[in-house]
Amino acid sequence: MRYDPPFHRSTGLWPAVTAFAALAVFPLVNDDNYLQHLMVLVMVYAIVAASWDLSLGWGGLFNFAHVALFATGLYAYGILAKTLGVSPWLAIPLGGVAAMAVAALMTAPVLRLDGIYVILVTLAVSQLLFQIVISQSDVTGGASGMVTLPSLKWDGYSFVRDGKIGYYYVALALLAAAMAFLQWLVRAPLGRAIRALRDNKHYAVSRGVPEARTRLLALLASAAPAGVAGAFYGSYIRVASPDIFGIGTLTLLLSILLLGGAGTLWGPVAAAFAVTLMSEAIAGLGPWREILIAVAIVAVMAFYPGGLWAAVQELREAAATALSQMRATRNRSTRAAARAALTGGAKETYIATPHGRIAVADGGGKGPALLFIHGNSACKEAFARQFEAFGARHRVVAFDLPGHGVSDNADPETSYNIPAYAEVAEAVIDALNLDTPVVFGWSLGGYVALELAAREKKPLAGLAIAGTSPLALAPDDVARGYDPDSHFIFAGRQYLTRAEGKIFADEACAPRENGAAYMHENFPRTDGRARAYMITKFPVVNWPRQMRMLREGRLPFAILNGHDDPFLNHAYIAGLTYGDIFRGAPYDIQGGQHAPFFNTPEAFNEAFAAFAADCLARPRKAEGAAAGG
Amino acid sequence: MTLETLGFILTGGLVLGALYALMATGLAVVWTTLGIFNFAHGAFIAVGAYAAWQIGAGDAWGFGALAGAIAAVAILAALGAGLHQALVRPFERQPNIVLISVITTLAGAQILENLLILIWGPRPKQIEAFVGGEARLAGITLSWNEVVLLATIALTLLALGGFLRTNPIGRSMRAVAQNREAAQLLGLDVPRLYALSFALSAAMAGLAGVFIGATRFMSPTMGADPLLKALIVVIFGGVARFTSPIYAAFIVGMVEAFASFYAGLYWTPAILFALMIGVLVVAPEGLFGRKSRTV
Repeated sequence: MRYDPPFHRSTGLWPAVTAFAALAVFPLVNDDNYLQHLMVLVMVYAIVAASWDLSLGWGGLFNFAHVALFATGLYAYGILAKTLGVSPWLAIPLGGVAAMAVAALMTAPVLRLDGIYVILVTLAVSQLLFQIVISQSDVTGGASGMVTLPSLKWDGYSFVRDGKIGYYYVALALLAAAMAFLQWLVRAPLGRAIRALRDNKHYAVSRGVPEARTRLLALLASAAPAGVAGAFYGSYIRVASPDIFGIGTLTLLLSILLLGGAGTLWGPVAAAFAVTLMSEAIAGLGPWREILIAVAIVAVMAFYPGGLWAAVQELREAAATALSQMRATRNRSTRAAARAALTGGAKETYIATPHGRIAVADGGGKGPALLFIHGNSACKEAFARQFEAFGARHRVVAFDLPGHGVSDNADPETSYNIPAYAEVAEAVIDALNLDTPVVFGWSLGGYVALELAAREKKPLAGLAIAGTSPLALAPDDVARGYDPDSHFIFAGRQYLTRAEGKIFADEACAPRENGAAYMHENFPRTDGRARAYMITKFPVVNWPRQMRMLREGRLPFAILNGHDDPFLNHAYIAGLTYGDIFRGAPYDIQGGQHAPFFNTPEAFNEAFAAFAADCLARPRKAEGAAAGG
Repeated sequence: MTLETLGFILTGGLVLGALYALMATGLAVVWTTLGIFNFAHGAFIAVGAYAAWQIGAGDAWGFGALAGAIAAVAILAALGAGLHQALVRPFERQPNIVLISVITTLAGAQILENLLILIWGPRPKQIEAFVGGEARLAGITLSWNEVVLLATIALTLLALGGFLRTNPIGRSMRAVAQNREAAQLLGLDVPRLYALSFALSAAMAGLAGVFIGATRFMSPTMGADPLLKALIVVIFGGVARFTSPIYAAFIVGMVEAFASFYAGLYWTPAILFALMIGVLVVAPEGLFGRKSRTV
């Protein structure tokens, strides 16, 4: 199964802990009873909106009966606690059970329908419930509702006392429990199945996701918190009125859900606070308030379809991008000497390319040129041991990809993809006048090297890769070429926690202790967008062209993988057809990891030197295709 | 049950059915053409009633009931086109337009209803009957007002049917409803035809509002109940043909009239909604439905 960090290891932990801690402290510093009352309502709305998000946002089920499920909990509490005299503490969970029962009944019509019809049938269900409540006045109090519902008590202490502080903490506990449940659920296999059905129903079903059961469970799981919240709401305001079914509640909760951002789970929680408190602040405006809220909903749908959550994410991205660029700028001057030491005094220059300013290290040796292309979230200094070993006999050149090392960040849409990186490599070859270099690409750099060769714009003497699985079809072959259980998934993640970054740097390069400290220090400089966009732009690469080139053996080719590479599926790589491969088959470096040139430099350098010599001994091809450059 | 009661129920069902037919056809015009459900249709009804009252009623401007009705229809047509521009047009290209339009039209309804409260206040009003007196035919009694209502609705629906069948613009609307891309390739101005369907639909809602305002008390939220009824009718009949909601409207009107008599006023809506869910489960395309849709 795919790696997915538990919540306590994710970047969302600290914001969530801080928010809940602030909520827990709030009543101790607040002496405004009305504000406290509002906060209880906000937490109830937050539970309802977040659980609605499970069916509407994550499940893509246009379930408009969610407010009716909330109302079911409310009336269940009224009937159980007041009419039947059940303890309120038992009646609250039973409210959740009642809502689940209604949700189960609703599943049959919902399952048969799609899109707008689901909206209509769920609206009909909620109207049907409303009509039943109105017509059964003996049980439900009819149009005037039920009043003086029992409130919560514990050992003689009424939770209404002391500014309803008891209710406040019960609401907070319910909110925490609901969010823990929902967060757990969306990461559990069921949550993935729910999302898979939303994104591609037929594919999900063909891969064995049971549609009926998954939809039923999604509705049940989203109904339970709503019902419990409804019952708690009944114990708090002590009235069950049929107004709750009205369009007003629906619009309020829907606006919370959408302003927060559907399919984000935490967005609606944040929006519950923002929307309720803001709408309370303009309560004096009367009907204008409703108009303003409605206009705000339309405006957000038009300009921010992803809701507040999308806005928060944009802010976060802007901050992270600025920070990574700042690191690059700082490293440029402060660490120049350290870089020069690593590259054996190679001259560092900056060249202007269509993809931003690129830092190039040129060893300046007299021999034939070797061009090294580094991997994901690394830098040109990864090849320190090659600068050292080959500097005397070769002109060793390496450069930082856009968004990496001390190169500038670039436009993610145009520059963070493999063809763009290949264009950068071509620009480097041009700027330094490299004459038919032997190219080595590591991991992501391997794809860049393959693309550079397949484009055939620059003549190359040979091509070697390590830690790269050649692909014919993306994304399907990615699943075959790599070990899906590994931490390879980090390669495409925009944000990595400190621990995840360490794991990735450990496995992609080497643990910090093994002389890789500078690689670990470079890691946070990488523009997170470079990882995310590179993966999402995988489909723009002409993969079959690369594979054709390898099959036809158009240039000398070597695969020098580490034998113990944790990411690769070696059997897949061995199974491909190569027209002209060094030593007849993919050559494994014994003891090598994902970066064999770094982990086991002697063995790698020996093999790479043999390959380079092999390439350079061959007669040069006519440079017809590349003449224009 | 006496014959007189039966006649009473039947005429009640007929009048209800005619009103539902007018509202549901209006709703269906937008649904078939744009593929979305307009939840502001009920608010359109309320705005139509208030506009007619303001212009026509003796205690307002007093131009007479007829002038009020005509003005209401014209105002609503303009309002419909305007709201299409503001609430639907910006989202037309989004993949989840169905959900977005539900939300934006709900917001539109919210805006209209609160504007009505701001302008006219929450106090109920009523439009005076167009004509007084009763007509008797073969033992069935109808007020002249109801006769006017039935005749106007029949004429309106006939005119709309004729427009959609023979008029080039009406035929273009049907073409857009059947295949938007093909219609666009043939040079039809799709956004204008969309705005036109919205205007037509809103004008019909305005007319329905005039009639409802003349038979019941008006309030800013008076459109909510008719909207739900129109929804039931459209679901019930489907939108395969222009006429399917009309048949369905009379069936629903009759069911409602008989259910009110037998099951009581409280149970009637519950029965209708249960019926709607049943139809959705058994035949989501409606009882008169086919897979394809056209105006």
